Amino acid sequence: MPKLTIDDLHLRYGTVEILKGIDAKFEEGSVVCLLGRSGSGKTTLLRSIAGLEEPYRGAIRIDGRPVYDAGSGTNLPPEKRDLGFVFQSYALWPHKTVFENVAYGLRLRGQSKAELQPKVQAALDGVGLGALAERYPSQLSGGQQQRVAIARALVYEPPVILLDEPLSNLDAKLREEARIWIRALIKRRGITAVFVTHDQAEALAIADQVVLLDGGRLVQSGTPEDLYERPETLFASEFMGTNNTLSVTLRERRAGRALVELGGQPLWGVDRSGADGGKAGSQTKGVIRIEAVRIVDGAGENRVPAEYETSIYLGNQFEHLFRCGDQTIRLVSDRRTGPGRHWLECPPERLWVF
Amino acid sequence: MSKPFRIAIILATTLMILGPVGLVIYQSFLSGPFFQPSSTFTLQAYEFVLFEEDDFRDAFVNSAIIATGMTAIAVPLGCIMAFLLVRTDLPGRRFIEPLVLVPMFVSSVVLAFGFVVALGPVGIVSVWVKGLVGTIPWYLYSKTALILIAGLTHVPHVFLYASSALRSLGSDVEEAARSSGAGPLRVALTVSLPMIMPSILYATVLVFFLGFELFGLPLVLGDPERILVLATYLYKLTNKLGTPSYDLMAVVVVAIIFVTLPLVYTQRKLLAAANRYVAVKGKASAQKPLAIGAWRWPAAALIVAWLGFTVVIPVTALVLRSFLSTWGEGVAIWPNLTLNHFRELMHYPNLVRGIVNTLLIASVGGALSVGFYALANLALHRWRSRWTSLMDYLVLVPRAMPGLIAGLAMFWVFLFTPFLQPLRQTLFSLWLAYTLVWLAYGMRLVSASLLQIGPELEEAGRVVGARPAQVSRDVTLPLIKAGLIGSWVLIFVTFIREYSTGVYLLSPGTEVIGSLLVSLWGTGAVDLVTALSTVNLALILVGLGLMYALGNKRHA
Repeated sequence: MPKLTIDDLHLRYGTVEILKGIDAKFEEGSVVCLLGRSGSGKTTLLRSIAGLEEPYRGAIRIDGRPVYDAGSGTNLPPEKRDLGFVFQSYALWPHKTVFENVAYGLRLRGQSKAELQPKVQAALDGVGLGALAERYPSQLSGGQQQRVAIARALVYEPPVILLDEPLSNLDAKLREEARIWIRALIKRRGITAVFVTHDQAEALAIADQVVLLDGGRLVQSGTPEDLYERPETLFASEFMGTNNTLSVTLRERRAGRALVELGGQPLWGVDRSGADGGKAGSQTKGVIRIEAVRIVDGAGENRVPAEYETSIYLGNQFEHLFRCGDQTIRLVSDRRTGPGRHWLECPPERLWVF
Repeated sequence: MSKPFRIAIILATTLMILGPVGLVIYQSFLSGPFFQPSSTFTLQAYEFVLFEEDDFRDAFVNSAIIATGMTAIAVPLGCIMAFLLVRTDLPGRRFIEPLVLVPMFVSSVVLAFGFVVALGPVGIVSVWVKGLVGTIPWYLYSKTALILIAGLTHVPHVFLYASSALRSLGSDVEEAARSSGAGPLRVALTVSLPMIMPSILYATVLVFFLGFELFGLPLVLGDPERILVLATYLYKLTNKLGTPSYDLMAVVVVAIIFVTLPLVYTQRKLLAAANRYVAVKGKASAQKPLAIGAWRWPAAALIVAWLGFTVVIPVTALVLRSFLSTWGEGVAIWPNLTLNHFRELMHYPNLVRGIVNTLLIASVGGALSVGFYALANLALHRWRSRWTSLMDYLVLVPRAMPGLIAGLAMFWVFLFTPFLQPLRQTLFSLWLAYTLVWLAYGMRLVSASLLQIGPELEEAGRVVGARPAQVSRDVTLPLIKAGLIGSWVLIFVTFIREYSTGVYLLSPGTEVIGSLLVSLWGTGAVDLVTALSTVNLALILVGLGLMYALGNKRHA
């Protein structure tokens, strides 16, 4: 049985529909990333799970037990849901010491000073802040505050922990370290974590399951590899990675493959258009990641001619820009290249036709 | 806070606001006092006041003239002073700035006494000037003098809003004007002041509205020439016809609220607009004062002259007079210095009670009021519901009620409600009236600190397992503690200064300095009035000292 189930969840602010029917299942012990642009509803979904927003239709179940169910009128207040929540701003209480911040949840659960002391200390040690218990939040750095926020959310051992962009206030270097230790910490405890982010690299790095949201709807849910290598929709394919999105003419669709025409050259690709795909002769979109395109020596199958335009140097590689008719094709390569006409290869299994 | 609790508090506040107002409106349609069973529904009182009563019409016209005149004086002067003190290198501006707000903290009736004692026909300054030039070149009891004094004493209200708006303006916009060739005056008139227009507009409506509410100044300065304004007309109505004419008073109250309520509503809209306007250009880091060169000295002289006339002269004269055994032409100051008036003060049990009551209502009562304002704020806090918007509009009602009116309405409520009757002659009735009059102000003080708390600090409390009441207790209240103490000090000073609310509630047991001053002035006991005013000023000074100490502590 999944740990957390979301059924047909709808939520609106006034007349604005924010969540338009979300269905998802999160397995026990997995790290789930809610990924999407700002305004996609990912934070709202997280806050609904915590009970900080009130949906108007659907259900949210933890271990099969409804914490929200519009059908039966169930809506547990946040304090009854027994979850951990890490806020984007950390939301540490400035008037309490680090120790008291972490201890508060245990105090509310009726634990005596003697009972909670070792647990708080263990939680703080777990995030590497055992020595700072008597400090006030304002005396900590951003990274330390974030660790206190995580300790505070974990100390009473909730079965599910929710994290709202916890890394967004850290600088780039710290962020990369933090995502490794957060994942390790969550995995070590074996709890289920739901993690909101708008950064696809972060989602791919930290998650067992990525849930991609757009405009209040679920676009695709699966492993990071599923989303990156087998996007089901144009939106998913364009959202992940860096892409060339090409306007192409559809020639033929056959057994999961599609033949399109780009700059007068035929190209085979994977047919992702589903049942409602266009007819032969219609204009459609082809997407290929920039790392999939290669410069090759001469004409051949799935190759197009293109004029060299410019390059940028990225340190570990070059990014080249080519022009093919009225379309631009970007690709990465570890070699410089020169002006003139080149042949570019788009491997058929990596060109997705929608 | 749980929902039923929130609704209960909102309902209690609603009752507290609408009860008195409702009673006044009800009374205005009756032929006699509301507690007499023989009273019947009629429009007589309206017909009489609106069409037959010349005094009412005069009072209304006077109020309109005075409000317009004082606005025309206070707004330009307040804006210029704000610009000079906030944006220029005026000498001594850091020292002058806090002094500008002083008239706001002194009760206007005390200031009015000060003007009489200093500039009246036998005032201390008048007599001195007469000795120099042989005649007194002004007449204090004219309408012009009243408008001038009202205008000058309301400069701080404009200054407060204009200066805070100017402070949030980046100095880059002014530097840009300077480098394109504009002089300081041009910068002020074409760049700085237009950019804070919404705040100025707000202050303009505020001063105009305060002009309609004016009570202390016209009571003291308008009386000798029988210049009546709405509030003093209402006050005189009590005695005018021999018997208290409840119906007529009610109509006058309704008429005043009819004028003030739209003004308050406009203000609210303007304030929202002003806040939006300021938020657009948030960057106000490192303001560089504008160098105004030789203009510094005349500018400083202007401000010092204003301060001298509005604060130093009346307050000094008042305090001096309270230490003089007698005063008149040909009386020397030094041989007549005495403490007798203060000793005499101690012989009147009601005056002593008044001082004690004032302290009680300001300290304990003020704390209870802040507690109430905090509770009412918490009831509305982070709650999106119709109840919240209802309260938003309801608090406008007490704003539109001058203290005199709220006191009268509260007095009637305590007469009317059987179970409240025994409390009428206790400080409770007075406290309730004070709390009601300053409801909007106090609510805003407390909500200002509540707004500083990020919602996620409270949400974090909920998620780790705290019920709403526990969040209020463990998170919200500790976080606004400093703000609540600050609010209490401001309310303390406000309650000490208050004089009009207690006028109708004055009875043995509910005396406060303010209402005693109003009634003593009627008897002509100048010695006692000046002594009691000096005590009042001393108490306010204590409050200001407290504010200063707290302010410094918060900066540390």
